Amino acid sequence: MKNISLSIKTIAAASVVFLASCSNLLNVEPRQSIDSATALTTQEALEAAVSGVYDRLQSLRMYGRDFVALPEALSDNGRATQKSGRLFPEYLNQPNAHFTAATWQLSYFAINQINLILDAAPRVPMSDAARNNIEGQALFLRALLYHNLVRVYAYDPGAVIAQNNRGGVPLILTPILSSDQIDKPARATIDAVYAQIYKDLDDAIVKLAGVPNSRAPFYATRAAAEALYSRVALHRRDYANVIRFADAALSRGVGTFLNTAQYVSGWRSAVHPESIFELQYVAAENLGVNEALQTTYTTLLELGNRSRTGGFGDLVPTADLLRLMEAEGNDVRRQLYELGTAGRGPAEIECTKFFGKGGQPNLDNIPVIRVSEVILNRAEAYAMQGNTALALADVNRIRNRAGLPSVNLSGPELLEEILKQRRIELAFEGDRWFTLKRLGRDIVKAAPAQTLPFIDFRILAPIPVREIQANPNLQQNPGY
Amino acid sequence: MMKRLLHLSFAWLIATLFASASWAQTRTVSGRVTSSEDGSPLPGVTVQIKGTNTGTQTDADGKFSLSAPENGTLVFRFVGLKTQEIAIGGRSSIDVRMETDEKVLSEVVVTGYGALEKREITGSIASVKGDVIQNLPMQSFDRALQGRAAGVLVQAANGVPGGAVSVRIRGIGSITAGNEPLYIVDGVVMNNASTTAFASSNPLAFLNPNDIESIEVLKDAAAASVYGAQAGNGVVLVTTKKGRAGKTEFNLNYYYGSVEPIRYMNVLNSQQWIQVRTEALRNQNPALTEAQARSSALTGIRLPGNLTDEQIAALPTYDWQRAAYRQGMINNIELSARGGNDKTTFALSGSYNQQDANVIAVDFKRATGRMAIQHQVNNKLRFETSVNLSNIKQRGPFGSPAGGSFLGSPSFSSPLIIPTNPIYNEDGSYFGTPATGGLAGILNQNVIMNAEYNTILNITRQVVGNAKAVWNPFKEVTVSSFYGLDYREIKGEYYADPRTADGFGVRGRLTNESEYNATFTANPVVINFAKNIGADHKLNTTLATEYVQEVFEGINQQVTTFPTSQFRTANTGATPVSIGGFWTSYRRAGVAAIMQYGFKNRYFINSVLRRDGSSRFGRDNIFGTFGSVSAAWLITEEAFLKDKVSWIDEIKLRASYGSTGNSQIGNFDSRGLFGGGFNYGNDAGIAPTNLNNPSLRWERQINSEAGLDLAFFNRRITSTIGYFNKESRDLLLDQPVPWTSGYGSITNNVGRLYNRGIEFELNTVNVDTRGFKWTTSFNITKLENKVTRLADGDTVLPGNPSVRIGHPLGAIFTAEYAGVNPATGRPMWYDRNGNITYLPQNPADFRVLGAGLATLFGGFTNTLSYKGLELTIFFQYEYGRKAFNNQNSFLMENGGRLFNSLLDVFERRWTTPGQITDVPRPINGNAEVRGASHLSGSRTLEDASYIRLKQLTLAYNLPQNLTQKVKVNRARVYAQAINLLTWTKWTGYDPEFLNLGAGNNGVVPQARNYTFGVEIGF
Repeated sequence: MKNISLSIKTIAAASVVFLASCSNLLNVEPRQSIDSATALTTQEALEAAVSGVYDRLQSLRMYGRDFVALPEALSDNGRATQKSGRLFPEYLNQPNAHFTAATWQLSYFAINQINLILDAAPRVPMSDAARNNIEGQALFLRALLYHNLVRVYAYDPGAVIAQNNRGGVPLILTPILSSDQIDKPARATIDAVYAQIYKDLDDAIVKLAGVPNSRAPFYATRAAAEALYSRVALHRRDYANVIRFADAALSRGVGTFLNTAQYVSGWRSAVHPESIFELQYVAAENLGVNEALQTTYTTLLELGNRSRTGGFGDLVPTADLLRLMEAEGNDVRRQLYELGTAGRGPAEIECTKFFGKGGQPNLDNIPVIRVSEVILNRAEAYAMQGNTALALADVNRIRNRAGLPSVNLSGPELLEEILKQRRIELAFEGDRWFTLKRLGRDIVKAAPAQTLPFIDFRILAPIPVREIQANPNLQQNPGY
Repeated sequence: MMKRLLHLSFAWLIATLFASASWAQTRTVSGRVTSSEDGSPLPGVTVQIKGTNTGTQTDADGKFSLSAPENGTLVFRFVGLKTQEIAIGGRSSIDVRMETDEKVLSEVVVTGYGALEKREITGSIASVKGDVIQNLPMQSFDRALQGRAAGVLVQAANGVPGGAVSVRIRGIGSITAGNEPLYIVDGVVMNNASTTAFASSNPLAFLNPNDIESIEVLKDAAAASVYGAQAGNGVVLVTTKKGRAGKTEFNLNYYYGSVEPIRYMNVLNSQQWIQVRTEALRNQNPALTEAQARSSALTGIRLPGNLTDEQIAALPTYDWQRAAYRQGMINNIELSARGGNDKTTFALSGSYNQQDANVIAVDFKRATGRMAIQHQVNNKLRFETSVNLSNIKQRGPFGSPAGGSFLGSPSFSSPLIIPTNPIYNEDGSYFGTPATGGLAGILNQNVIMNAEYNTILNITRQVVGNAKAVWNPFKEVTVSSFYGLDYREIKGEYYADPRTADGFGVRGRLTNESEYNATFTANPVVINFAKNIGADHKLNTTLATEYVQEVFEGINQQVTTFPTSQFRTANTGATPVSIGGFWTSYRRAGVAAIMQYGFKNRYFINSVLRRDGSSRFGRDNIFGTFGSVSAAWLITEEAFLKDKVSWIDEIKLRASYGSTGNSQIGNFDSRGLFGGGFNYGNDAGIAPTNLNNPSLRWERQINSEAGLDLAFFNRRITSTIGYFNKESRDLLLDQPVPWTSGYGSITNNVGRLYNRGIEFELNTVNVDTRGFKWTTSFNITKLENKVTRLADGDTVLPGNPSVRIGHPLGAIFTAEYAGVNPATGRPMWYDRNGNITYLPQNPADFRVLGAGLATLFGGFTNTLSYKGLELTIFFQYEYGRKAFNNQNSFLMENGGRLFNSLLDVFERRWTTPGQITDVPRPINGNAEVRGASHLSGSRTLEDASYIRLKQLTLAYNLPQNLTQKVKVNRARVYAQAINLLTWTKWTGYDPEFLNLGAGNNGVVPQARNYTFGVEIGF
């Protein structure tokens, strides 16, 4: 019995020792992640964090497909072929067939990443040049993200259906690392969002002033910020700034305005020579056989070889768009469209702007802003200001380069010509829907799709249902 | 002192020997004791001369020999067998056949850190003996548990042999944390995470189910809280076969059989498809003439648009389904040996199992080796060890989960491919290769070619081993120390052949993954103290320590551009695409104190206290305390019943209350993290991945239970009735946060739900006369699952409409289909007010229309035996489960897109005004103008309840007098059918599947198996 009580004592002592040693025993540190509280304390970490923002833009739900292909499918440029069934509901403008929840999600994830960078950068020891580069890129990216958000989910300044207007988007400018920092923001006004975008771009331009052009077009430069400024100002109908920043952007030596002979080959090179800002994709970032832009736009794997079927070719130019391109004879831009294969259904004329230029199928860099857009932004601003001569100069620059003769128009005819050139020049690059929307125009479509009037609720994308459920202060767009 | 005592007792022994010898005439009696069941020799049977202390034990061959009085009586005793008394009557040779004692109460049940006599159990434990699941052609024991134990819902994810299986003990207790029970095989904590990327795998498939002695399922807190922190979803204890002292027994087991599809979908022929496609085009665009629409339908599938009626009528129809779903084979061989002496016993076994799926290029091959050794060093010290080795090779399935694009999957695509596409060219080569433009239609891949050319392979090499030392310093005290390891190496390979669609554009793509998973279990010190104090008190206490560590790491690579399809290794590819790797780990430690007290053999109280810590939780809440109290009252031992009512054998009332925990979340979910891999171009990038939550703590399941165990008529009727209420609190929920915060969710302790139910088991011996025996086992569980609280007063989990307060988990929230407008053929739904709408709005018009969790389930077994013949009929059922039939949704498009359709849906389609039907008119694109897709809402929601004749076995045990002639102790032959018949309203391939994200799209369905086997013991 004595022995028993002794052993019980030993056991008790042993278990106390065992538990006491547990706290250390139970410590496991992650190896493929680092503690968020101390993550952004070096220049290298901040630079990696900036890469992490660009990475978000590469997603299919951002520039990988949606910001490029959806504006074509939703508008009058693209017709869905139903070869995989993708983009057909968007082409029909069915309710909820629009920019998806993931676009909202990824945009705000990227914005928080930027807010964390902007918060940490002043505290990290490094040269001013390095800090300015990091902050400048972050500010440019935040402006780009907010502008995309506000033009998808809200009306544009000056083209508002008042009874459907629920404001802009929530403006989040402070970083979040732990759950107690989360709040439930309401939508800021459209104007407040644009004011913030202007502010970010103003700051970005200052900070990027010393950044060399050698980082273009894959990273933000001063030219990229100025080019974006001209686009944002066009949405805001702030024509003076469109002209001012277009002039500035075009003067920085980033992006080359191609001539007629170079035009098609520009679209065949890995990096588009006109790009002021372009997203780079390497082999590991291939977006795949289902939804990458090449498979979305074309069944072809090789130009002119109709015996090999590659992608789905889900979205092809509408008859209307082809007619415009063919109406004046030899438009060089028509050469970027050719007959696809019959491998997945009837052969269609397909867009070949994205064609595996990175060296393998479905691997393409994606231009976000290129020189021609900036010229067209400026042309439109001049026309709206009534400066016919300069407007004509810009639009004829685009026309002549396409192999078309100069026009001599004025007033509404001139504006329509600029918009027509914009439609053809930027077709299948993600511009058309936003242009029609900022001008408050109906989306005119042929059967089986139907014309979408500007007053229709489907002009605005639905805010994700889970965001409305998780945030009672957030107002859904009408109709959803 | 000691020496004198020895001398004294020796003298006494001598004296008694002489004395007894002088009482009567003695003679030597010898004989052999065998089992009445199978005639095998019984070693270790006590043979005693009645009324004396004189006796002996049978040897390894069951033989005995002793001197006994001529007119004496021999008493034969063995635990679990009926004691027999046989008068010697002058004989010198006596052979005895001993029978199993049905009355015996002292069946021992494994409980975790020990074993208890069945009568002393106060918790809820379901026990399944190994022989019940013997020789079922199933690769893992979890699948064989289906329908065998009340409260345990087993669902196979698919019909892939060795595929994933979900086991849910008493419902689903957690919303986003894991719901898997804790598996412990011979004391080793199993990592039950399915870790492989390229085949549907099951981490429990390493163990040959025929090596299992018994499976115990610990269901309530009283039984499971011994395992505290990880026991929230119940515990499954597996005990494998150990050696037995005596002559070495060999067992040879072989079975062979076939696998075949249970059903095929009845789809359209070429002519019907062209017709329905033509209608769909015209209905969408009424401006088209019949001829225009038909031409368009024909060119859409690459036929000349100007085919005449006669030419269309002559078009052949190709049956892709029967090329993809096909017969396969089953082959299983095992050899085992068991034996040993009073010091050392051993069990050895080896097996090879091969089984095809009912879909092309999906199979399973496994070799196992097993060894268990126990050695008694002296009467105080014992060693035990066992090692299980296994090598598993699995192929396919193509298209899921990661190997191959889902459109190329034979199981998904074969019923949907446009039937005008041939499978082979006239020369026997494959038709529709990517080089020739693929097949016509959306599903343009030759799926039969995909299956043949691509490699989707998974190799798992696993070692599960343990070593244990047991020391008895005193009679009452047992100290043991246990160490175990579950180690696996998993190699996945997916080679997208350059001749197939996935590899064509890049001239072949090879993806390799290697994963290494080590789960280490230690119970460094387990101390047990057991003592009977006087006649009435029985005390049994245990203190156990446990430490578990898992490290999981892996590397992967992808290479493209191969010279030809013959080159299939990474070094022959020209373009490295990606290289990746990962590492993760957790640790857990705990101490448990268990106290069991029995009074007068009829009142039992057990209590458990356990404290656990896990590295997964927040710095402030690493530790959690769990425990339970339970009691049982064996009413039949009370004076007023005992030996008074002869037909009542046992009435036991028991109740328990306690808590268990769940920690099945990500290893680093409580940490604020920045993760890597957010790369841009050639620059490495980082981004925040996880919100900091230092207060994250254990999820708790509060269990209450009341049960009644009954046995009547000499235990010919036994029954268990139980009520349970399992409340899950502090749910580890991936609580959605607004995306505007920069994060999707935070793992937080919010919400509550409960699982309540009744379990009922009834076992009867219906007939037992003249060699004919008929027994029945029936079990049923009624389960109610309900979510009662979510965060911040939410009534629905943001972003997950299937989690709603007042409804079961997996609630189906959709628009109710209202049929077809007889005037126009347009599909209709009900809106929020019960009116008809063509365009239901989410969520305003949506309602809960059922749930994916069965409310009633169980099994029903009948066994009939006569002499050596034995027939087993086992039904298994699930009721109250609803699911979307995603795959048939494609098959119901009726020409809306370029997919084949079901004949039934084709024949019932709306064609003329006034027609009453539930199938709308075909329409290109599936949606009418200003209407939702006709496939949306509840139209494809189906009742997935079923009852299945799961097992039918006819066996014959050859008579022993026959087998002995060829020196065989036991020989058994049998024929067996699995999944012979299924009754269900489900219209797809099979109602049993798990929705792992894509519903039942491409799920390899359950198969019907026939096997023939022979078992020989010698």
